[in-house]
Amino acid sequence: MKRIYAGAAVLALFVFCCVSVSRAAPPAHEILDAVDDLYRSSSSSGRVTMRIVNKNWQRELTMDMWSKGKDRSLIRILSPKKEKGTATLRAGNEIWNYLPKVKRVIKLPSSMMSDSWMGSHFTNDDLVKESRMADDYEYGINFEGEREGARVVSIACTPLPDAAVVWGRIDVTVDAATLIPVKIDYFNEDLELTRTMEFSDIKEFGGRKVPSVMTIRPADEPDEKTVVIYERLEFDVDLDDGIFSLRNLQK
Amino acid sequence: MIAETINVFRFAWRNLWRNRSRTGVVLAAVTINILIMIVTYALMQGMLDQAVGHATNISVGEAQAHHPDYRAERSFYDVVDEPDALLESARTMGVPGTKRSYGFGLAAMGTKSAGAQFWGIDPGAESGVFDIDDRVQDGAFLKSDTRGGVVLGRKLAFSLSAEVGDELVVLVQCADGSMGNELYTVTGVLGMVNDDIDRTAALMHADDFEELFVSGGRVHEVAFNSRGAVDAEEFTAALSAQFPGAEIKTWRGLLPALSDMLHLFDGMIMVFGSIFCLAAGLGVMNALLMATFERIREFGAMKALGATPLRIVRDVAAEALVLAALAGVIGVLLSLPACRYLAVHGIDTSSLSTGITYTGIAFDPVWRAVLTPQIVLRSVGYMVFFCIAASLYPAVLAARLRPVDAMRKQ
Repeated sequence: MKRIYAGAAVLALFVFCCVSVSRAAPPAHEILDAVDDLYRSSSSSGRVTMRIVNKNWQRELTMDMWSKGKDRSLIRILSPKKEKGTATLRAGNEIWNYLPKVKRVIKLPSSMMSDSWMGSHFTNDDLVKESRMADDYEYGINFEGEREGARVVSIACTPLPDAAVVWGRIDVTVDAATLIPVKIDYFNEDLELTRTMEFSDIKEFGGRKVPSVMTIRPADEPDEKTVVIYERLEFDVDLDDGIFSLRNLQK
Repeated sequence: MIAETINVFRFAWRNLWRNRSRTGVVLAAVTINILIMIVTYALMQGMLDQAVGHATNISVGEAQAHHPDYRAERSFYDVVDEPDALLESARTMGVPGTKRSYGFGLAAMGTKSAGAQFWGIDPGAESGVFDIDDRVQDGAFLKSDTRGGVVLGRKLAFSLSAEVGDELVVLVQCADGSMGNELYTVTGVLGMVNDDIDRTAALMHADDFEELFVSGGRVHEVAFNSRGAVDAEEFTAALSAQFPGAEIKTWRGLLPALSDMLHLFDGMIMVFGSIFCLAAGLGVMNALLMATFERIREFGAMKALGATPLRIVRDVAAEALVLAALAGVIGVLLSLPACRYLAVHGIDTSSLSTGITYTGIAFDPVWRAVLTPQIVLRSVGYMVFFCIAASLYPAVLAARLRPVDAMRKQ
């Protein structure tokens, strides 16, 4: 009896692998990995300006960022004056904020993960997520050709049934030659466009060509956007683990 | 005509007391029924009043004014345009009110944190117009002349493990988009109010709120409460006419679930009352039936002497009316001290359950009676009606007797 079960399991695994292999046919898989690995490295450090345009206000923040591995990052705000020194530490699935004005560290409750980070159109979840699109989504190329004068490839990703993702669908469009992303459209579970992320101004940072400007626009508020501009970005830098500690957060 | 009517009742009265024990039993039965009905209705009324009072007197009020989009969107930027003019206008109509500002943010203590809705309130006006200050279980309510304190809803305090005297870190997004953070001292923790307040409310001084949120004096809500002195519907209509730009709603519009529940309860009370009366009426009918059969020879003699059937029906019905009226007077007289006692002491149901919440409205475990003239009229009226209706069957039986058969009965 046991042998039959084992046989069935092997068969199931085999069938599953075949399905996976056929689904993972390049270049879609490579493209998604390229997008996922775009800013990822064993460690990085950089300086970013974030411009937030909201229908009620607009503001600009400058911050330094450090990251190590897949799940540790630290962001420290340099300006404006009111928020100077405010820091966000991400360690695994947890987000901690340091508030210099009151000299306290607070942990973000999981119920607020989908809330906006610092008033931007990024959610706290965006900072934490470490999933790889190729692992969590079923995907296929849905467009290949010229668009706005450039050769692009677009891949439609729909989440696998048990994937812990908030989106109903993601459309990733990349430059066909460089595999650098041009645009990512995020759809909710009703498959309505929720937000769009655009990549532009490709620059070379630390030997890598990456878009230096990211613009995120919510679909329901056409006049709003958050623009992230990389001023400086270094990859594979030597970072001490202590940087990503609660103690360092309070410095 | 009048003399004859008086005579009918005089006869009825005299007839009733010809058999003291029988009449006494029926009288006692009807009296007890009326008494129970009045007390039951009064307790039900007390519970409903309490639910409405809870819902309105603590923080909702009898009416509220908002920006037309505020209740749907809860946007920080949808504000009441002229809160002070609204307050002033309401005051001339005899309805005091208070301003409130709301903002969402993060409250944290130690490693614990939770989302909270911050209320910027005027502590003096708030505790003058509403009873939320009485709901403080630990510590004290905010004071007009003290800054830097917060009063938390009980579940929020529990999830933060916050107690009176603890230091609370607050992180919010301000009106200008910047991040505001500040330290406050927990001065009080509320008891059970409603689910919304219990889980999320963090009350602070309006000045603290303005500084934290850089809110520029934004007011999101003006709540009015006259404690029943002014009719909420009329007041709302009058104020809406003066301020067409604001959305002004009565508590029925603000708490539709409670309003629906009250309607449902009213209907249920009517149904139960009718069942009660029917049961009591059958008892009365039984007693009157017995009394009629006992006097069957007498009715026979009356008919033999020329009484018309109608006159016999009239006489029996008059007896029922006199009996019910007498029972009504005694029943009401007995119910007054009973209701008074239940109004003061109430029935404590706290041993049966720990606080009931229905559609987000908390019910007090102590039931208190509230006696209104309508309850007395309704109970006595029902009972008199049922007694007369119940007497008609034996009355008709008596009226249809043949005198010869009747007089021969033993």
